[in-house]
Amino acid sequence: MQRIGVFICWCGSNIGGVVDVPAVAREAAKFHGVVYSAEYKYMCSEPGQEMIVSAIKEHRLTGVVVASCSPALHEITFRKNIARAGLNPYMLEMANIREQCSWVHQHEPEKATKKAIDLVRRAVAKAGKLEPLFESTIPVTKKALIIGGGIAGIQAALDIADAGNEVVIIEREPTIGGKMVLLDKTFPTLDCSACISTPKMVSAAQHPNIKIYTYAEVEEVKGYIGNFSVVVKQKARSVNSKCTGCGTCWAKCPTKNIPNEFDLGMSMRKAIYIPFPQAVPNRPVIDRERCRQFVKGKCGVCKKFCPTDAIDYEQGDEFVTENVGAILVATGYDLIDWAKIYGEYGYGKYPDVITGLHFERMVNASGPTGGKIVRPSDGEQPKTVVFVKCVGSRDEAKAREYCSRACCMYTAKHAHQVLEKIPGSQVVIFYIDVRCAGKAYEEFYLKTLHEGAIYTRGRVSKIYPEGNRLIVKGADTLLGRPVEVVADMVVLATAMIPAEGSADVARTVGFTVDKDGFFQEAHPKLRPVETNTGGVFLAGACQGPKDIPDTVAQASGAAAKIIGLLSHSEIAGEPTIARVNEAMCSGCLACREICPYRAIEPKEIVERLPGKQVTRVVASVNSGLCQGCGACTVACRPGALNLKGFTNEQLLSEVDALCL
Amino acid sequence: MKGIEEQIRATSSQLLAAGDVQLVIGYGAGSDNSKTMPVFIKRAEDVGKLVFNPLCVSNLANYLLHWNNFEGKIAIVVKGCDSRSIIRLLQDKQIEREKIVVLGVNCPGQLKSGQAEAKIPVEAVLSEATVDNGGIKLQTSGGLITFSLEEGLLEKCRQCESSRPVVSDYLFGEKGFEADKAALQFNDVAALEGAPLEEKSRYWDKYFERCLRCYACRNSCPACSCRECVFDMVEPDWVAKTVNLSDNTAFHMIRAFHVAGRCTDCGECERVCPAEIPLRILNRKIIKDIKELFGAPMPGSDLEALPALSFYAVNDPESQN
Repeated sequence: MQRIGVFICWCGSNIGGVVDVPAVAREAAKFHGVVYSAEYKYMCSEPGQEMIVSAIKEHRLTGVVVASCSPALHEITFRKNIARAGLNPYMLEMANIREQCSWVHQHEPEKATKKAIDLVRRAVAKAGKLEPLFESTIPVTKKALIIGGGIAGIQAALDIADAGNEVVIIEREPTIGGKMVLLDKTFPTLDCSACISTPKMVSAAQHPNIKIYTYAEVEEVKGYIGNFSVVVKQKARSVNSKCTGCGTCWAKCPTKNIPNEFDLGMSMRKAIYIPFPQAVPNRPVIDRERCRQFVKGKCGVCKKFCPTDAIDYEQGDEFVTENVGAILVATGYDLIDWAKIYGEYGYGKYPDVITGLHFERMVNASGPTGGKIVRPSDGEQPKTVVFVKCVGSRDEAKAREYCSRACCMYTAKHAHQVLEKIPGSQVVIFYIDVRCAGKAYEEFYLKTLHEGAIYTRGRVSKIYPEGNRLIVKGADTLLGRPVEVVADMVVLATAMIPAEGSADVARTVGFTVDKDGFFQEAHPKLRPVETNTGGVFLAGACQGPKDIPDTVAQASGAAAKIIGLLSHSEIAGEPTIARVNEAMCSGCLACREICPYRAIEPKEIVERLPGKQVTRVVASVNSGLCQGCGACTVACRPGALNLKGFTNEQLLSEVDALCL
Repeated sequence: MKGIEEQIRATSSQLLAAGDVQLVIGYGAGSDNSKTMPVFIKRAEDVGKLVFNPLCVSNLANYLLHWNNFEGKIAIVVKGCDSRSIIRLLQDKQIEREKIVVLGVNCPGQLKSGQAEAKIPVEAVLSEATVDNGGIKLQTSGGLITFSLEEGLLEKCRQCESSRPVVSDYLFGEKGFEADKAALQFNDVAALEGAPLEEKSRYWDKYFERCLRCYACRNSCPACSCRECVFDMVEPDWVAKTVNLSDNTAFHMIRAFHVAGRCTDCGECERVCPAEIPLRILNRKIIKDIKELFGAPMPGSDLEALPALSFYAVNDPESQN
């Protein structure tokens, strides 16, 4: 026989100001199974919690109903509370009479009181069907895997490794460093991007707890929080570990004039190359699609000159399995291919229309022009430079609806750099809004403005060449008139989009993406670095457009979460997961098809029939992978699957209590 | 159709004699001459009991569920419509493909049971039958009995999507019945959909009121593979067991949704209903909706196409939000 106690909270005047709380308590006392009913100003306060503990002991309660705020707020509080009195923490049911009652029915106190009584009746009905649940324990492998070796991945790796855990970084490019090493100076402090990021790359490479796979990809992910098994595909580099990075091979390589991806094609590299001098590891890779040895079958120059016999043309892709407890995804961003979308800006046909990232390489002292700002068409110094912001961002009609967040600031920085480096130059910036929300950001923008950058509010409608210059036509929407600027160079601030292949990463690792293809965080405010898949975390622009300070902050945040997870040798498994009634399961495995967490596996059981034994297949739930979403319970036609804490019997009793 | 019958017998005899199968499920002569009934043949010398004619209206696939603990291999006779049930049972992992030999028949069309009972005398033994545009002709010991297609052909044959089995290891019969394209358009469902709400309500009330809750529809359904039926369950008591309009309606709605996306429109439920409730209309309404909403093919027509609501795809347009 259940002995249920009901505790109704006033929440000060939040509930008590609308709902007649004493009346609800009086009604609740009459419900079937209720042996004690009480009310209090603040149930979550120390005296409120004490009241529950002593009532459980005094009235030998078997189940507790707390009618107060949302369980999202205080379910854990009250679970711990009743556990103190010796009850199983899952013998608690909450009725939300605040968000779902008093707050939405402020002007109808009588009806609100009636609804509160109904909600409590429902909770009491369910409480009568509750059963004790127990947490399982899952072992944790104290090692983290980081996908993406950009600044987010490096920062998180250093944080996690410094806390004493092993870290594996997987980077698909031949070097770590990501986008940040491409940049010149960074706003708002104008410190050199490479100068602050390359030391971090070296720290990561030299850290005893960090292992880096470059030129590698994640092939397969199996397992669950604390126990992932990841197959890493190490693409054939054609250079083995004997390499000392002396540079003889790329100096001697006869295949020249391959556009260097690192400089966005503005400089040339060899067929055996390192992307840039500070690459980590300082080990070249052979571009097999262009190398003569691979294309024509003869050359062998690099092999001949290599002093350490490190060149290996026969090297194949290798597959390595890493067992880890947590996965951090930090795959970053790419820039939208504006040339395919913006015909009015010339479809990329005019060489002097470039992107902000091209500008970064150009203005960088170690870049293809040695830091000189020049027109790609003729190498002349531009006198008038036009910047167009929101190319692909904030453009629902043609590209992406969202704001890419970093462009306002880097465009201000670019404008500053043009004005500083080219005496007598003129800068015109077309913008929709100037968004400078960040520490010292507004100040930086104002400085650029005072330096003479001309900010024109409006979109650019057309860019076309005239002679060797460009005509930029747009509108000044503040003055309400068309504007035409004769420019020497145009720089487009293009939208950040998820890095190429990120959908495949999401699919391989097993988590969801949002409408724009960015990785979906578990909660936009309260769980911003976690995915909905246990043990999988996010950092950086793969989750949404971000600048460097936000990326690094998020990376350290994710690292803290991972350190927290790895600090346990065992973690408690959530008990509210799916359970299979094997006797009822017909083995159709429709649940397996529908499970987003791959938590259902077939299992053979032996059954006794009259005169014989038969083996048959039933579904079984992996308690480490199941997130308790309940999708399987609805897919299961025989009703063999139940979500613990939300069983069919419990839900039906709630429906009956409300509707009958 | 004598040819088909002889081929079924010869193949069954071969399969049983060679030990390739240990059981043949097929049609046999019925309790009277206007009917057939299922026969279960385990010995080659008994294959003479197998028949095939326009009276083979039932879908035998359901018996595979009854025999799912049988240790040997089973050969089963299926028409075009029945073959979809084989695919569905495979998709639901209720049977193993390598344990089943499918004896498919290019079905020429089947005779309405009521018409057969009315016109075939009890003592008239069937010797040969033909179905073509000229109608259904039965040569019996009591003389030739003919039906025009309008009066004789089963409604579901008229709406047949594929008289050729979608899965078979052996295929008998030259060419099956070809339905008129217009008859495939769910006109029966559309007619009722268009009616005013009150009329639709009256229509179903009239039928559901007389439901006996005998569960023959459930028992004959090849999609029914639960080990404990929701309609028999006491805890939780999902559906009341009393026979009245309200509970009967709940029963029929739950049944229809339970087979939604899996019902192959084999028509067994309607055929076996002693109260003559037009259950196919209910099933076909859902088939039509799923077809229109998801572009899904008729369930069971493609082994690779899982029921529209029974799988999770990462590239599903709705999972992107």
